[in-house]
Amino acid sequence: MPVVSALPYAFSFEPEKTALLIIDMQRDFLEPGGFGEMLGNDVSQLRTTIEPIREVLERFRQQQLLVIHTREGHRPDLTDLPASKRSRGNLSCGIGDVGPMGRILVRGEAGHAIIDELQPLPNEPVIDKPGKGSFYATDLQTILQNHGITSLIVTGVTTEVCVHTTVREANDRGYECLVLTDCVASYFPEFQRVALEMIAAQGGIFGWTTSSEALITAFEKEPS
Amino acid sequence: MSETMPGKLVVPADPYDYAFDIATTALVIIDMQADFCGPGGYVDAMGYDLSLTACAVEPIKRLLDVVRQTGMTVIHTREGHRPDLSDCPPNKLWRSQRIGAGIGDEGPLGRILIRGQQGWDIIPELAPAPDEIIIDKPGKGSFYATDLELILHRKGITHLILTGITTDVCVHTTMREANDRGLECLLLEDCTGATDFDNYRHAIKMVKMQGGVFGTVSDSRALITVLEAQ
Repeated sequence: MPVVSALPYAFSFEPEKTALLIIDMQRDFLEPGGFGEMLGNDVSQLRTTIEPIREVLERFRQQQLLVIHTREGHRPDLTDLPASKRSRGNLSCGIGDVGPMGRILVRGEAGHAIIDELQPLPNEPVIDKPGKGSFYATDLQTILQNHGITSLIVTGVTTEVCVHTTVREANDRGYECLVLTDCVASYFPEFQRVALEMIAAQGGIFGWTTSSEALITAFEKEPS
Repeated sequence: MSETMPGKLVVPADPYDYAFDIATTALVIIDMQADFCGPGGYVDAMGYDLSLTACAVEPIKRLLDVVRQTGMTVIHTREGHRPDLSDCPPNKLWRSQRIGAGIGDEGPLGRILIRGQQGWDIIPELAPAPDEIIIDKPGKGSFYATDLELILHRKGITHLILTGITTDVCVHTTMREANDRGLECLLLEDCTGATDFDNYRHAIKMVKMQGGVFGTVSDSRALITVLEAQ
């Protein structure tokens, strides 16, 4: 069984019971000219994750392990958009409005798509989620159960929002989560730091953290 | 305690009359898919008596025509799976193969129970209007692994009027899930059907036990009368 050096202590996992989760690597959050940048965020802070995620993704694909992508977004009629989420931020151009890459956070629009560098393969499930968490109002849990998955390698954006909510949901459902520190990112450096610390605090209250390099090393030591 | 439920409109029903408001009620049409009730679909090809499920089509259609004029929320559901079957539990797949109707295998109208296939689609008579909500569900219940509860919450829906097929399987599972979530349910007995008539009959009876353990039962004629009196 591969063992990865991690915080707060080494993380062991059975590859065939482990899925790679890639959260919300969507054009609107990562590309210049998207919704994220329009809100005044520096998207280059998130783009550092693309290359390390791609390298981890390659290992998972080589070993034919389960890879799952998520996208945050809503139905075109916005029936799954809570009024509180729509009004939040008091934006002149918000969810459902026409933004720089089509209607903002609406399924099927250009900005909602996953970035080219991390395009899902046809056999990789894509989870469309209306919330921050990947479990709420989706079929993620049934897919994990059907594949006998017990551990998740978590990557994507943003660390303190969708990554954290998903890790907390997963942890309460009994999944072991390893978050890759260079494969998750926030628009706010201090949130990145403290959100990662929160995961491994108190003996790993939500799970483990490590680097993509440590995970790849563990894979190479013990190829499945 | 009041003898009647709060609500502006009241439909005579058994074991208690069903009171509701249009704005907080949704008509739910469960799994009226070609493979379950359409000619040439899977149920038809298997040699089952199609009339036992197809009998619900006309009453639902008449009701839907009236409901669409009231502005009530309409929700359609479809049972089916992702083409890669990643959302299909191994035991469901195994059982379907055992009876010769493997999920994902080629059936009379495309791959059985796979999203996007002809047999999986809702029959043309009950095709959803563009503003009506469609829930794609991998299970029997309409709440499990779907965004139905979020949508109901978002729209302030507290009452469900249930129709569709089959009575003992997907309609009952959905009604039980809804009931546990505090939604007030009305089942319309002429707008539902099962592949076995005895199962249909008993499923209706089970709802009415213990003073309406899962809700209350009426028919489309009674509901249309109330809606048209508006």
